[in-house]
Amino acid sequence: MLTKKRPLPWSVLSLLSRRAAHLARQQYDVIVVGGGHAGTEAAAAAARVGAETLLVTQKIQTIGALSCNPSLGGVGKGQLVKEVDALDGLCGRAGDWAGIHFTILNRKKGPAVWGPRAQLDRQRYREFIQSELLSTPRLTVLEGSVEELLVTEPNPEEPGHHRVTGIRLANRSQPITASSVVLTTGTFLSGALFMGQTMSPGGRFGDAPSSAGLSHTLRERLGLRTGRLRTGTPPRIVKDSVDLCQAQLHLPDTHPTPFSFLNKHTRCKPEEQLPCHLTTTTPGVERVVKESLHLNCHIQQDTKGPRYCPSIESRVLRFPGRSHQVWLEPEGLTSDLLYPQGLSMTMPPDMQLRLIREIPALRRAEIHTPGYGVQYDFVCPTQLSPALQVKSTQGLFLAGQINGTTGYEEAAAQGLWAGVNAARWALSLPPVALSRTESYIGVLIDDLVCRGVTEPYRMFTSRAEFRTSLRPDNADLRLTLKGSEEVGCVSSLRYREAVRVRDSLQDALAALHALALSTNKWRNKLPGLQMSENKNTLVTAGELLQYNHVTFEMLASVFPESLSPYTEFSQRLKIEAVYKPYCDMQKKEIERIQREENMSLPQDLDYFSLPVSLSQEVREILDRVRPSTLGSATRLQGITPAAVVNLLRYVHGTNAGLKGRTHTNQPEQKEERDEERCATKASLPQ
Amino acid sequence: MFSFVCRGIMRAAIHTRRISKGTLPGRLLSSCDGVPAGLADADTVFALSSGHGRCGVAVVRVSGPASATALRCMAGLTRSSLPPPRKALLRCITDAEGKEVLDRGLVLWFPAPHSFTGEDSVEFHIHGGTAVITAVLQALGSVPGMRPAEAGEFTRRAFQAGKLGLTEVEGLGDLIHAETEAQRRQALRQMSGDLGRLYQNWSHKLKRCLAHVEAFIDFSEDELIEDGVLNQVDTSVCNLQAEMERHLKDERKGERLRSGVQVVIAGATNAGKSSLLNTLCQRPAAIVSPKAGTTRDIVETALDIGGFPILLSDTAGLRDSPDVVEREGVRRARERVEQADLTLVVVDCAHLLTDAQQAVDVLQTHLRSVLSSQEQPETDRCLLVLNKSDLLPECERQKLDREMRRVSGLPPVCLISCHTNDGLQDFLTVLHSSVKTLCGDPLSGAPTLTQARHRAHLQQCVAALAQYKRHRDTDLALAAEGVRLALTSLGRITGRVGAEEILDIIFKDFCIGK
Repeated sequence: MLTKKRPLPWSVLSLLSRRAAHLARQQYDVIVVGGGHAGTEAAAAAARVGAETLLVTQKIQTIGALSCNPSLGGVGKGQLVKEVDALDGLCGRAGDWAGIHFTILNRKKGPAVWGPRAQLDRQRYREFIQSELLSTPRLTVLEGSVEELLVTEPNPEEPGHHRVTGIRLANRSQPITASSVVLTTGTFLSGALFMGQTMSPGGRFGDAPSSAGLSHTLRERLGLRTGRLRTGTPPRIVKDSVDLCQAQLHLPDTHPTPFSFLNKHTRCKPEEQLPCHLTTTTPGVERVVKESLHLNCHIQQDTKGPRYCPSIESRVLRFPGRSHQVWLEPEGLTSDLLYPQGLSMTMPPDMQLRLIREIPALRRAEIHTPGYGVQYDFVCPTQLSPALQVKSTQGLFLAGQINGTTGYEEAAAQGLWAGVNAARWALSLPPVALSRTESYIGVLIDDLVCRGVTEPYRMFTSRAEFRTSLRPDNADLRLTLKGSEEVGCVSSLRYREAVRVRDSLQDALAALHALALSTNKWRNKLPGLQMSENKNTLVTAGELLQYNHVTFEMLASVFPESLSPYTEFSQRLKIEAVYKPYCDMQKKEIERIQREENMSLPQDLDYFSLPVSLSQEVREILDRVRPSTLGSATRLQGITPAAVVNLLRYVHGTNAGLKGRTHTNQPEQKEERDEERCATKASLPQ
Repeated sequence: MFSFVCRGIMRAAIHTRRISKGTLPGRLLSSCDGVPAGLADADTVFALSSGHGRCGVAVVRVSGPASATALRCMAGLTRSSLPPPRKALLRCITDAEGKEVLDRGLVLWFPAPHSFTGEDSVEFHIHGGTAVITAVLQALGSVPGMRPAEAGEFTRRAFQAGKLGLTEVEGLGDLIHAETEAQRRQALRQMSGDLGRLYQNWSHKLKRCLAHVEAFIDFSEDELIEDGVLNQVDTSVCNLQAEMERHLKDERKGERLRSGVQVVIAGATNAGKSSLLNTLCQRPAAIVSPKAGTTRDIVETALDIGGFPILLSDTAGLRDSPDVVEREGVRRARERVEQADLTLVVVDCAHLLTDAQQAVDVLQTHLRSVLSSQEQPETDRCLLVLNKSDLLPECERQKLDREMRRVSGLPPVCLISCHTNDGLQDFLTVLHSSVKTLCGDPLSGAPTLTQARHRAHLQQCVAALAQYKRHRDTDLALAAEGVRLALTSLGRITGRVGAEEILDIIFKDFCIGK
């Protein structure tokens, strides 16, 4: 019941990847470069949508590797995992397969901000992702290093506009062609690793740096603006050398809650779960940081690092005199290592050892692998469309850290959406957009392409203005149906399940509202019920369910014949009932935004010469950001209501918003071919 | 406010599509298919739609589904007896509870679709005094489902209902621009006083409350964020709610509302600005001397020009000065120009060259520098006063006068001498007509309207804070939503607050490390 298939043993994997090494064809619909969280979701999504897809990665073995923390989900991030799962992505099911410690964070703070989270077994996570990818139809995995991104010369009629044609691999003269390329190069774009005073090129310790050719093409040929960000990872510690008695024990939930809407259980049994431990820094830690500052060139650089996941160095420097939390997290069921969350550092290895030994629980700790810092280039994401396509280059999509985000979940979410749109582009289907009113993925992408980033972007629930509607519990209702009916990235199995859930919930809510009793009768049936309402008014079971202490089970025990069929959904029904009035209040605002998002602005609009009264400042903002819809223009800083009215005259719109926009630039010949292809596709048995 | 405006705009656009197939330019035609029907605004809006000043009758317009309710509550009409459509009826106009009589006046009932906006509409024709207008606007604000109209809202609703032609909508952007500008100036005037400081202070406190609740939601599971944080928020929210409620009940308004058209005299030092003020109010209200930089603070005086109330301010001459006091005076002067309904730019005509074209260039440059604080200098809200004409030889004076009447691209120009009162009559005529135009615009110099708007937003804010309290212990997400709504309501007075701003406070106040 857990997942469709069990991961394949290693021997089979190596066979499959060897098959991949002999490339069957020179032409694909979609090529995905990179095998991290963004790349794997992109490749799988593209294949699900129906594109012949090639995933190119430096090492097949590192596909699905967790480069940093061994955990998935959390507050805000958990919502993203649920949404990726609702669109039939991989990471939710992989988390259920690999999780060894499940908790729902914020359990006491209301279901809208619950944060499903799990510690993962690195080995199991990788196994799951690899076996999924290698058994996905239409998906080929190839080991290789991309030397060059192939693009057409700019169209003379539209200077600066290119089209992607494929890639060239190192050690292969023959290029591989494709209609779409998704770049998910993570920290490898001009990546540099820092430890102490040494610096070496690369994006992850132990892996070869990526070719300089790629970043050259992006910057020089395509003229994309880039910026530089930094991040870091803590040293890994030998488990046996840690005195865990000196740290505070944190147990997982007794009943693990799976991420995936398809799973009823996690692979790990409740009693098999491993605990985490919490400890804190001491004044000694601060001392070592200060003593090692002159040996720490990463920390001296002024490249922007995240404010919310800072290295221990920056935490100590920004908030001196405090003790900071350090979580000791398991790396896997059989792993000998611990991951010290909160101790990311870049000082020389001997100082790292000195630092961690200032913490009582780590007094005799040994370091297995020292921590290090990474600096890397990202492409300013305001140059992307909401489909994550580079606006100036048809067929080129970017996802993950290359867009300035941080975190597995953020990467996976973008990867999935870029993969979907890359496939749709290749198959000549119109692009699809997710609104910030319907998903955290939409919030993420809208923030990126409209506002850009100044520091690594991480998801927080406070970024979602419609948080009460975008809950982890209803991600399937929000996205699975759309994902199947409009996007085409959802399996029929998942779709049928979502339809069943939706119908059951609707029926159950209707049943709840049909049951109305006077307050007196309710009191008789449910002793101990506290109600302040007038005795004569009728109260429905649905209204009663909004009360704090009333559960669906209580109501089902009063009306077993009409309600007991739905006890499977008792928690979801309770949440629906409590949140309904607030969601209804937001509905009007949501509808307004969606209407605005259905009005797209031509991407080739010359804002400087528009014959309407717009101030120079407004023209400059519009020209710089080139909002794709009137909705996103409205949200830009500095755009006045009057400017929005004036823009109305230049609005395009169709039933599904962006539908059909980008295709107008394609040569006619291609459109003819597209029609043929669509026809072929339609005739295929599904 | 912005979102309100835009909300309507979108509907306007959608309507364009529905009503005008075939007549629009091709691009707009393709827009907005598939929009759900039933786009009527759920809100009912009201506004003073007549001018102010010397007016016996003021007209307050109401539009939207709750119009009939407002009419029944405030004109003492029972459920069955709405007045016949479009017939004036003399009634006692009361507060929303029907307890206190505010005025005796005419009410008119325009059922949809036969009204200006196409919606159910009501007009109250009441006496033109400030007290009566304020009372009626406040009473309307307390009817459920009613709020003060946003900039251009009546026109926009009319457009949505197909009551305006397409050519008229071309001007809609400009109209909204003008009205938002007028509201912005109005708000600036109110915000620069104690009231403004009070609202800013509330907004600041609310931002911190929200940041701390959000920090607790997003980070407390992994970080050291003490439970004490929420207790502080509880206290702050309680205090804020109590303060706002007290403020809403307080009948003393604290500040005298500076009503009247705001006319500001501005220009370089020693151009004769203070002399002009003294000449206009016929008394030596401001000190004049040949020394540049005599006036430093604002000198304010209330005047009646042809029956219209104006508030005339003399300001420090605009120049870079090493003197701290004078620099502050110049800052205040610029601030006042930004808030002005009408600016009198005074120029010493001896500084103008004899060549007409050159004089025009000099004046245009000068105007830009004086009005620089205005986003888009609007020449229609400005008069050019060329002073000290007595110092020019007669032939020069006549030549300049002639040239100035001929040129275009400048606001109205008056050549006067405050010393001999030469040209003063002509100037007064021009000033009178400008002030008359401004007074016909219900938005300029009508602080009551702003006040009613502020009240409505504060009431929403208080209600939202109650949501925080209600959910504080059961669902922090819904409680935070309450603080967020409160901040949005207050933000309509003090300016919008974005998610990034809240995150900035979070990262400043807490060490977030995971």
